[in-house]
Amino acid sequence: MNWTLALPEIVLACCGMAILLIGVLQKRDTFHLCSMLTVGAFLITAELVVSGSPGLGYNGLFTVDTFSTFVKLLVLVAATLGVILSLDYNEHANLRRFEFPVLMLYSTVGMLVMASASNLMSLYLGLELQSLSIYVLAAFARDELRSSEAGLKYFVLGSLASGLLLYGVSLVYGFSGTMEFARLAQALSNPAHVSPGLTVGVVFVIAGLAFKISAVPFHMWTPDVYEGAPTPVTAFLSTAPKVAAIALLMRVMATPFGHLLVQWQQVIILVSILSMLLGALGAIGQRNIKRLMAYSSIGHMGYALIGLAAGSEAGLRGVLIYMLTYVFMSAGTFACILAMRRRGRMLEQISDLAGLSRTDPGLALAFAIFMFSMAGIPPFTGFFGKYFIFTSAVQSGLWTLAVIGVLTSVVGAFYYIRIIKVIYFDAGGAEFDHCPASLSVVAAAGALFTTFFFVLPAPFIAAADAAAKALLL
Amino acid sequence: MAVDLFHYLFVAAMLLVMGIFGIFLNRKNVIVILMSIELILLAANLNLVAFSASLDDLVGQVFVMFTLTVAAAEAAIGLAIVVIYFRNRGSIQVEDVNLMKG
Amino acid sequence: MISAVLFYVFAAILLVSAAMVVSSRNPVHSVLFLILAFFNAAALFLLAGAEFLAMILVIVYVGAVAVLFLFVVMMLDINFAELRSGYQRYLPVGLAVGAVLLTELAIVLGGWKVSPEAVTLRLSPRAAELHNTLQLGRLIYTDYIFLFQAAGLVLLVAMIGAIVLTLRDRTKSRHQNIAHQIARTPADTLELVDVPSRAGVASIGILRPKPAPQPEQAEASTGHAEGHH
Repeated sequence: MNWTLALPEIVLACCGMAILLIGVLQKRDTFHLCSMLTVGAFLITAELVVSGSPGLGYNGLFTVDTFSTFVKLLVLVAATLGVILSLDYNEHANLRRFEFPVLMLYSTVGMLVMASASNLMSLYLGLELQSLSIYVLAAFARDELRSSEAGLKYFVLGSLASGLLLYGVSLVYGFSGTMEFARLAQALSNPAHVSPGLTVGVVFVIAGLAFKISAVPFHMWTPDVYEGAPTPVTAFLSTAPKVAAIALLMRVMATPFGHLLVQWQQVIILVSILSMLLGALGAIGQRNIKRLMAYSSIGHMGYALIGLAAGSEAGLRGVLIYMLTYVFMSAGTFACILAMRRRGRMLEQISDLAGLSRTDPGLALAFAIFMFSMAGIPPFTGFFGKYFIFTSAVQSGLWTLAVIGVLTSVVGAFYYIRIIKVIYFDAGGAEFDHCPASLSVVAAAGALFTTFFFVLPAPFIAAADAAAKALLL
Repeated sequence: MAVDLFHYLFVAAMLLVMGIFGIFLNRKNVIVILMSIELILLAANLNLVAFSASLDDLVGQVFVMFTLTVAAAEAAIGLAIVVIYFRNRGSIQVEDVNLMKG
Repeated sequence: MISAVLFYVFAAILLVSAAMVVSSRNPVHSVLFLILAFFNAAALFLLAGAEFLAMILVIVYVGAVAVLFLFVVMMLDINFAELRSGYQRYLPVGLAVGAVLLTELAIVLGGWKVSPEAVTLRLSPRAAELHNTLQLGRLIYTDYIFLFQAAGLVLLVAMIGAIVLTLRDRTKSRHQNIAHQIARTPADTLELVDVPSRAGVASIGILRPKPAPQPEQAEASTGHAEGHH
């Protein structure tokens, strides 16, 4: 057995325990120290992920290939940005507890396991490790009603979703006789043998995963949880777990259920259309920027699912590029949202942004870049993400899906540009507090990536290409 | 196994339906919702055990061990969140909250 | 024959108690019925040959999880009558959804047959000569060690989560500070006052001990204030 395959996960989990010990044993406040150590652990893990060799291990439970490497690196980047974003906020919001980065770390371990899962059992355990940590993080501001309510809602709906997923897994196991992806693919290679029970199982599994990416019939939790959870948790929630969950969905749909494409394609197309519509229409009336981001993320997941529905290599590559661009846009936007603070009080209303261009031109520019990118306006990354997705849909003959996608992104552009209008043309309020360095770093990194991606897109596209190829083998 | 597998599956399906039904019915009482979720997990476990017996394959039982672990962890976290929610609000109703409207 | 009868008895009790869990008026009753449901599910596990899991279900579920539920229900002072409102309103919808789902599942599950490939696909066939616990033990520490460790991490996260959410420093309780007690001198605490004869408390006032600057005391008061904001 080749146990070194999971070396990044093992090292990260051990680092987590070490950080936990440091936090518990030190009498003084160790939030900052533990956060820094967590970032360090992420960097070490990223290095191990890059240097790891591909293979299948642990009795078929765990696989390492270019796809898992791509996803893991993206997850680690997103998690690192999440930890950095939490530094300043937690300091002010009286959440300076070392368990915060530790829980983020274990959630990330869960995501890494998800990215490498090659068996429904490791899929379930990775997913649960990731979700359980995030339920706690969402309720982390335990003296605030909003936060504990967000945690409760997320927990109830999330565990319902994972219960349904588990039931689906049990049906898949019973009707095919195995839970291993490779063997499932082999068992399903003859569609004539596929019993309806198996299809029902697959539907339950899709439903469980769709909840995790907040795609439409299972999106109800998103606005409330996004608004109620502490903002750094929302930032984390909208990036890393989304990447891991959509990667899991891609792997499950492409590898074991790849032969059932005709059956699940309809479901994914429907979910995708509904998500894009709801994301575009739901966001229009929102005054709270965190809620707006919730609807925006529902819409983004809808676009990403188009690539999955295409079911081709180009489509899967499109999804990966989309998620890459999404992580940087989203983390950057949340860095800007976290900088919205006046005299120590966090602001969340869109109208609070009025006049930002005069009081803080740098922040205003960053905000504008992210909003243009989310709207899909060239030359920002958001455009490239949508471009690859839509072309793959057209290549696969899914014309309606591409057309609906373009229409909803026009509607979406309306509310993104409305924010830019508030920032640049509305009469302003008072100045925000000084933007802390940690937020500036994340906002600048996100803005630079988003703006200058078009200069050198080739290595990213090549990596996504290799990852998509590995999935379809 | 003494009885046909279908009977096991039917019992599990009934449990699943009752769990979902319980969530519908007790929308305000979070504790009963948590119990309904336990019923759903029990349904999945019963399915897995029954399939494991009928396929003569131990993987199902191995998986049930891990799902039981996860379900216990889930119950612990769920109840902890319920407790802090109760501390903040003084009740465990979720539905009548006007704090956040969608 | 006997085991078939037992199956139907246990299954019937399981379903009835599950129904009582979701429809009982008092959550304490719900928890007790949940325990009954777990017991009967354990019996069904036994009938299916999963002896170890049956015992685990009784020990872990009934012993720990269900009692945890009971504990929380008792601990929170909940107005249960209020929680019941709206129950009638959801009943028809819930019943309809449940009936549809059940019929669909029954139709689908009725078509179950062992797929022809399943025999070749299974990973860990049961070995007849070993007992159930030994077989499971041989599997989880070898082939499934990865899952075993991951499940351990899930429990660790649950522990961290439960502690971080509910543990509060008990600032109100007074801890014994031995160093402080030993370092006390009579000068700190005793004050000798000359009391003139025939003078009562009324004339000299009630003597209070000097308010010694005690660090714990100060912390306790601020902690108290924080607890209420």
